[in-house]
Amino acid sequence: MTDFDRNDDSVVVVIGSGAGGGTVANELTQAGVNVVLLEAGGHLTNDDYVDNEWEAFNQMAWLDPRTTTGSWRIAKDFPNLPAWIVKAVGGTTTHWAGATPRFNPHEFKTRRHYGRIEGASLLDWPITLDDLAPYYTQAENNIGSTHRGGRKALPANNNYKVLANGAERIGYHFYATGPYGTNAEPYDGRPASIQDGFNFQGDKHKSKWSTMVREIPRAMATGNLQLRPNSHAEQITHDARGRADAVLYLDADGNLQRQRARVVCVAGNAIETPRLLLLSGSAMFPDGLANSSGQVGRNYMRHTTGSVYAQFDKPVNMHRGETMAGLVADESRHDPSRGFAGGYYLETISLGVPFLAAFADPGAWGPAFTSFLDGYANTAGLWVIGEDMPQESNRVTLNSTVTDQHGLPVPNVHFDDHPNDVAMRNHGYQQAELLYEAVGATSSLRTPPYPSTHNMGTARMSARSEDGVVNEYGRAHDVPNLFVSDGSVFTTGAAANPTLTIVALALRQAEHIIDALKKQEL
Amino acid sequence: MTFPAKHSQLMDTQLTERGRTVLIRVVRVAFPHARLPDGPYERTADIILREADASNWFRVALTQGLGSLDGLAGGDFCALDDDTAYKVLRRIEGTDFFGFIRRTTVLNLYDDPAVWAALGYQGPSYDQGGYINRGFDDLDWLPEPRIEEYEGPVTFQPNWEGPGSTATTNGVVAAPARAADSETQGHLNATLSTQQDPRQGVRPAEKNPEKASI
Repeated sequence: MTDFDRNDDSVVVVIGSGAGGGTVANELTQAGVNVVLLEAGGHLTNDDYVDNEWEAFNQMAWLDPRTTTGSWRIAKDFPNLPAWIVKAVGGTTTHWAGATPRFNPHEFKTRRHYGRIEGASLLDWPITLDDLAPYYTQAENNIGSTHRGGRKALPANNNYKVLANGAERIGYHFYATGPYGTNAEPYDGRPASIQDGFNFQGDKHKSKWSTMVREIPRAMATGNLQLRPNSHAEQITHDARGRADAVLYLDADGNLQRQRARVVCVAGNAIETPRLLLLSGSAMFPDGLANSSGQVGRNYMRHTTGSVYAQFDKPVNMHRGETMAGLVADESRHDPSRGFAGGYYLETISLGVPFLAAFADPGAWGPAFTSFLDGYANTAGLWVIGEDMPQESNRVTLNSTVTDQHGLPVPNVHFDDHPNDVAMRNHGYQQAELLYEAVGATSSLRTPPYPSTHNMGTARMSARSEDGVVNEYGRAHDVPNLFVSDGSVFTTGAAANPTLTIVALALRQAEHIIDALKKQEL
Repeated sequence: MTFPAKHSQLMDTQLTERGRTVLIRVVRVAFPHARLPDGPYERTADIILREADASNWFRVALTQGLGSLDGLAGGDFCALDDDTAYKVLRRIEGTDFFGFIRRTTVLNLYDDPAVWAALGYQGPSYDQGGYINRGFDDLDWLPEPRIEEYEGPVTFQPNWEGPGSTATTNGVVAAPARAADSETQGHLNATLSTQQDPRQGVRPAEKNPEKASI
């Protein structure tokens, strides 16, 4: 077992083992770079995962205390659960369902194409789709996205049959069972789906891609990786020149450790990443590390989401099979004539009875609510997921009065919907209802957004150091050997589910780091 | 939370067997499922009582709250018909004690396999080989849809911005910028078309036109 000395300052320290951190760690170790991978959660594997919604939630979810403010409904219904992400090896790739659409080209240049939108802090990405395209292809091959790279489509499950027929009947064209990050046939040493659902609970069968099943074991096999689970980073320190030189973290026993580093990559998801940078303030960086722009923690995005659950007079049994293997892309276009900027997808979603009861209409009780649940077997569901407007005031900050189990200030997540978000969500609800009515729905329920699974924008990428935190490679403008490797770097959110893009950006970043290491620039 | 102190039972701090009976009735009236037997409701009530026992505040709130229901019912809460009992609960839905019952019920009643069975949720399937041979695609009241991506005459246009396009919602989208045509137009077909798609020519043309058109 590889074991690096804590004073070894030649290693790259990666914080977080999810889509971004796991990918960067694998790429670096494959190229011969020594990496210490710090993961706050434990090392759960497929046998540990539990096909029970609440049991798995309690096993995997990031449940450290957090607080919320703002007018979003989450602050009322789930005030200490702003985000639904994972604290375990593999990060939130163990929870993701698997949809892998790419960004549209204009979604890298929204300031240019959407124009000035009141209250929105839109900014163009410093890269284009062309820059990212080869990394997208590589990411799709790593993930094993269906419909791409010669890989088969998943078959139609019941929930998809309803979605696709409804889509066809209201004139949509661009629907399919993917692209989707779960094997339709054996691929990459992992088996084909047995349609056992529970994608959100880790996937016992290994047919779903996660960094836990692919990148991390491969990185370990190189002998160049030391994975340290149960290691919660609490500060990145720097030397007199302002270069990151070590990471302070709490180990499994709660002891403070210091791992020296040549390069630090932060990939703690878009709430923990800015929290860590803010906790790393110093005399040289009084507003937090890498925060001369004041943008760390700002522009927090979570995608404009909502679900519609429709009921029919015949059975659907949406719980059988892959949770999200069904996408409609027709509304993912930017078409201001609809009354809002940006676009959204409609994707199948299915919750079991335990989660549907908790999330369908939080706080609801009484006969109307229970009669909805009585119709469970005849219910189909979809998720509206679209681009939300970045706003400077939607923001992750340190809570000055509430601390976590380690005594560290908890992150507070402030969020208000932008009017554009509201208009898009309502359009999505309406189209979803039309879609389901077209195939005979007898009723439907508009479900508000769940705690955020897509968290983005809090260390955004920009061409200029004045208006963003990192450059086009995710390298901090202020600290040359500090990288952000997760969805925090998204300049804007696009309509697409973010995982594929996080992986593609991490591949591009890793190539940049390897090149810079070779040239002794890092 | 204020309850009339002239009723001595409202000053109780320890739950009684009567309290349990009322609680079971509250849970059933608040979450009525005709198909459910008493068992899941009784189990849920017992979980609520156990959780309340772990907290002085909730135990006292629950005891006093349940004690107040007979008063609100003008006698015996358990003797009220469903509609009347439901109206009583609506009157106290903002109280801490009812919120505690509601939250705890949602988390536990619906995590009971007996409730899953009654509602038609089959739960885990891994030990039985998944649903691949157990009906994941048995819906037969709609045509079989296409599973591949669209390959018809219509081209997906990701950016519909163009001359004269304006947004209409609350003036939110002010003055949409004009596209830099050379950059965007060249990409118009990107994400969903086969032209820039890195699928490396795999998808066999096996699409059955009869199946494809629904």
